[in-house]
Amino acid sequence: MTRAHRRDTELGLLLLVAIITAGAYVLASLGRTASLPANIGPLLGMILGLLAVAHVAVRRFAPNADGVLLPVAGLLNGLGYVFIARLDRDLARLQTTWTALGIVAFIATLIVVRRSRDLERYRYSFALLGVGLLMMPLLPVVGRNINGARLWVRFGPVNFQPGELAKIALAVFFAAYLVEKRELLSDFGKGRLLPQPRAAGPILLAWGFSLLVMTAEKDLGSSLLFFALFIGMLWIATDRGAYLVLGAGLFALGSLFAYSSFTHVQERVRIWLNPWPHAQDQAYQLVQGLYAMGSGGLAGSGIGLGSPQKIPAAATDFIFAAIGEETGLLGTVAVVAAFLVVVGVGLRIALRAEQPFEKLLAAGLTMILGVQTFIIIGGVTRIVPLTGITLPFVSYGGSSLVANYVLLALLLRISNDTVERRLRAEGVHG
Amino acid sequence: MDKQIRRMGVALLCLFTLLFAKLNQVQVAQADKLANAPGNTRKATKDFSRDRGVIQTADGVVLAQSVPTDDTFKRQRQYPEKELFGHLTGYFSFTYGAEGLERAYNDDLAGRTAKLRTVRDLLSDRTRTGNLTITVSKKLQQAAKDALGNRKGAVVALNPTDGSILAMWSYPSFDPNPLAAHDTHAVQSDWAALNADPNKPLLPRAYRERYPPGSTFKVVTAAAVLEKQPDLATRPYPVLRELKLPQTNRPLSNFGGGSCGGVLPDLLKVSCNTGFAQIGLDLGGQKLSEQAHAFGFGERPPLDLPAVARSVFTDTDFKRDQPALAKSAIGQQDVAATPLQMALVAAGVANGGTVMKPHLLAELRDSEGNVVERANPEPWTRAMSSTSAAALRDMMVGVVNGGTATRAAVPGVQVAAKTGTAQTIGNNSHAWLIAFAPAEAPRVAVAVIVESQPGLGDNITGGRVAAPIAQAVIRAALTP
Repeated sequence: MTRAHRRDTELGLLLLVAIITAGAYVLASLGRTASLPANIGPLLGMILGLLAVAHVAVRRFAPNADGVLLPVAGLLNGLGYVFIARLDRDLARLQTTWTALGIVAFIATLIVVRRSRDLERYRYSFALLGVGLLMMPLLPVVGRNINGARLWVRFGPVNFQPGELAKIALAVFFAAYLVEKRELLSDFGKGRLLPQPRAAGPILLAWGFSLLVMTAEKDLGSSLLFFALFIGMLWIATDRGAYLVLGAGLFALGSLFAYSSFTHVQERVRIWLNPWPHAQDQAYQLVQGLYAMGSGGLAGSGIGLGSPQKIPAAATDFIFAAIGEETGLLGTVAVVAAFLVVVGVGLRIALRAEQPFEKLLAAGLTMILGVQTFIIIGGVTRIVPLTGITLPFVSYGGSSLVANYVLLALLLRISNDTVERRLRAEGVHG
Repeated sequence: MDKQIRRMGVALLCLFTLLFAKLNQVQVAQADKLANAPGNTRKATKDFSRDRGVIQTADGVVLAQSVPTDDTFKRQRQYPEKELFGHLTGYFSFTYGAEGLERAYNDDLAGRTAKLRTVRDLLSDRTRTGNLTITVSKKLQQAAKDALGNRKGAVVALNPTDGSILAMWSYPSFDPNPLAAHDTHAVQSDWAALNADPNKPLLPRAYRERYPPGSTFKVVTAAAVLEKQPDLATRPYPVLRELKLPQTNRPLSNFGGGSCGGVLPDLLKVSCNTGFAQIGLDLGGQKLSEQAHAFGFGERPPLDLPAVARSVFTDTDFKRDQPALAKSAIGQQDVAATPLQMALVAAGVANGGTVMKPHLLAELRDSEGNVVERANPEPWTRAMSSTSAAALRDMMVGVVNGGTATRAAVPGVQVAAKTGTAQTIGNNSHAWLIAFAPAEAPRVAVAVIVESQPGLGDNITGGRVAAPIAQAVIRAALTP
């Protein structure tokens, strides 16, 4: 595929995304007030503008990168925006700012990270950055409790969830560290089923660390995500099934510990198993979400015609239920399919990449997106116990948007470098 | 590493497949269950938010309408006539559901019935609400309200020839507006206050409360004589102060302790208890019960309002309890009737023996003004032959012309009526009057009850208390 072709595909898809988003926005407004939104012109202009800026940046800084990821992310972002605007005008205004910031972070990442190998060099800085970001909410002055979890940092008027960015920093560190220590970690010695203590050190460290974070910040979702990320990447790097077994065992131990130590974990599990007796208290949010999706049925009530405001946190953790109510199964399947496309493209980038570090990083970043999507949608639909975590690109939230756009930029950077190297090789040989 | 990445892809695909499967379960397999779950208020909110038709009177006064608002429900139901039509419109409340016409015609007002939908509507999403016109006019309803004043009771007026209700007023009434409000807490406190009120303002006495009909029931007894045993109509009954009853030592006396007797028209004219009690004994329980049921006792009158009460004529074993039979013949003992039922008795006599189906609906139009349903007069029961009805009418004319109901007379119009003073617990009495006019070609039949008048004197009788109210309503009904 030529570079021009890829970018033209991206441009076409982005135009489609702008049309879909603007159309959904108009529908939402018609549904709510039976009139065309007054600000449709400026809004459409802004969406088009932001996407165009991102597109131009990709053309300029990663011209050979994959052409599907940015439009799909834009679609999810746009759809999320429509629902946030439909639920809460004030949040929508802020989300516009966050989207702009996200695009800025996206471009900045493309500019700063000229080659993915650069990241590998600063692995320990990333480790420190990740741990530091993760611990930040525990600091006395800036740390804040919101909804019972200590995940937030406050700087002046801005609340920020540093855990979102920590995921990426840690993924970079894991990728670099695991590539470096691959041999050591896969060599168990003769006839041993478990890794040598020296090799098992990091995994125990990750396990202990995620437990610690969970204990201190009461954040089940993120801890689960870190742990799954580390075990997954470790297994990909070493191809040792023993790590998966060990991980599963430690996961079971950790779960057991969490269940027996924290009443809020017990409560989450109880309402997951049977929410109906608690429909008016602890399980209110979960049950309202299920009601919303059930009421939506196959085709949904129509955007702007349902009552998703009945669901607590409908714009953040439960935005998927809001989408389910107003667009029905058709809409939710489309959203899940969009994430599946992102996961598919991410893994394809990982497979095509030539450097082990790039492969591992791309796989890790994709895993973050895929697993996080599963954890929150699975929580809302009651496949797994509910943990408060955002739906990437769709939920309201600045930290989440900025982090996910950075993640997207890294995937595009890896994709671009791979293609560029191949083109250079072909150029040399041809 | 590629092998592992592919496997991870498969694992993620499995997780996403799980999501797809679960979404199908939630949004398709269990969708109806979740959408209709008791805790899911979406459907109720939607019903409450949709446009709703207008209810108006025969003389074009709006009784209920929906106006746009800015809150969650988008529309506010208003009742401009407040308590005057409270028991007829009922209310449309998010918290307490619907009552009255709002409930009886809920689907029509919301535009959900098949008759309001056309093939075109399948393709567009516009709602065609139904607009209801009722047979009651504000003018007559107001006349009934003014005539009854601040006395507990009810007034029912209807057209005996087609069953259309012309006025239906119960006092005390209530204003439906606060119950239709959107502030749940205010609605709850208003509801609690209405329910705690000992005067029961939420109770539509006219069609949902039963009273002993007292002497107005003598019309039914007289009808039984004419229909089942005409020879009794010409038999002179002795003039008595009190009637000795079989199986008991307690005699039955006339109201106010007077003496009376004679043939049937004379007995009805002065409302002779001793005479009618003896007639009851002569007729037997079977015939009296059959006649009461022929007027509609024991059945729910097919009025288009929710929970209309049945009137009761209990078939006790009268052979073993002759005093009960004697008292039932004068509308005491276990006989209990709604004001609506007693109005239907008058209407049956007025309409040549046929009781027409009572109804409030005049017509139902869609939002474009096309009539989709129109009242169609239908007989409900056949109470007696037209000959018997004519004879009974003449007797009831006699009650007005020199009998107990002289105060029901309207100048220039011949009124036919029967009074009633039904003893209740303690020394209280309900004052009754049933009437129709003009006697020769009736256009209005009326029942009036004034609850619990204190004492047993002459000044609390149906003839004193209820007759002037009926007179005012008849006069208003016959004045164009």
